Amino acid sequence: MSVEVEVNENDLAEMVEQVWESYLDPEGVSPLMQTYDENQASEVHSSVSITGSWTGHVVYASSQQAARRAAAAFLAMAPDEVSEEDLSDVLGELANIIGGNVKAMLPPGALLSLPQVVLAPETTARYPNTQRITGVYGMWDGEPVSISMWQSRGDNKEGAE
Amino acid sequence: MKILIADDSRVMRQIVIRTLRQAGFGDHDLIEAANGREAVEMTKSENPDLVLSDWNMPEMSGIEALRQLRAAGNDVKFGFVTSESTDEMKEQAEAAGALFFIVKPFSAERFDEVFAPILG
Repeated sequence: MSVEVEVNENDLAEMVEQVWESYLDPEGVSPLMQTYDENQASEVHSSVSITGSWTGHVVYASSQQAARRAAAAFLAMAPDEVSEEDLSDVLGELANIIGGNVKAMLPPGALLSLPQVVLAPETTARYPNTQRITGVYGMWDGEPVSISMWQSRGDNKEGAE
Repeated sequence: MKILIADDSRVMRQIVIRTLRQAGFGDHDLIEAANGREAVEMTKSENPDLVLSDWNMPEMSGIEALRQLRAAGNDVKFGFVTSESTDEMKEQAEAAGALFFIVKPFSAERFDEVFAPILG
């Protein structure tokens, strides 16, 4: 059973801003510029599932270049030094951090999964019986990045296809 | 002092280490564990002075690791560095004997505030 979602686009944007300030753009020179385009393309994505008081998924998606740049910023190295393992690890951690912060805003009784990383576009993902309820879509140094929340429909039993 | 950092993300362990350095605690002996089970084993074998642990990890979660250590009579200083921070988790952490709860994303200032009294 899911409650009405209590996390809106502004909350999500604030969490995303904190991640940029802390890790991706500590100097404050290249923030995520919102495009509000929920259909923007991606090449890689990561997600965490939340179950319990709210049930759904938090998804981070970006271009390969933006993922590489994120990994470079996290690891304080040059983008061309980033390995595929670094890239996957950073994508997973980004979904985990944002998902964890989303969870903190939900009513008690929500469980967060470990992150899943897929080095393929977000459009290849299928979350059965869900609908996108909010998201932050933007460009980071000219590369697409999006963070979205997908809610499971309340009338479906968990695990039902 | 010896500090054990337990997180299943290698990248996050590196960020915790970097942030410890930025906060002025880089001179301590820093060791790493990739999940709760490893954290328990390394706490017993390496005898760290402080454990910084993620919450959500494969094999064994951070809270289970803390409970196992306390059940075994180990009273190492232990705290969480996690992206999750609900009141129920903070209560569980405190009840299990955790000293602090740092939420990701974190800053060097936050590390300094929490660790200065512990590490001196």
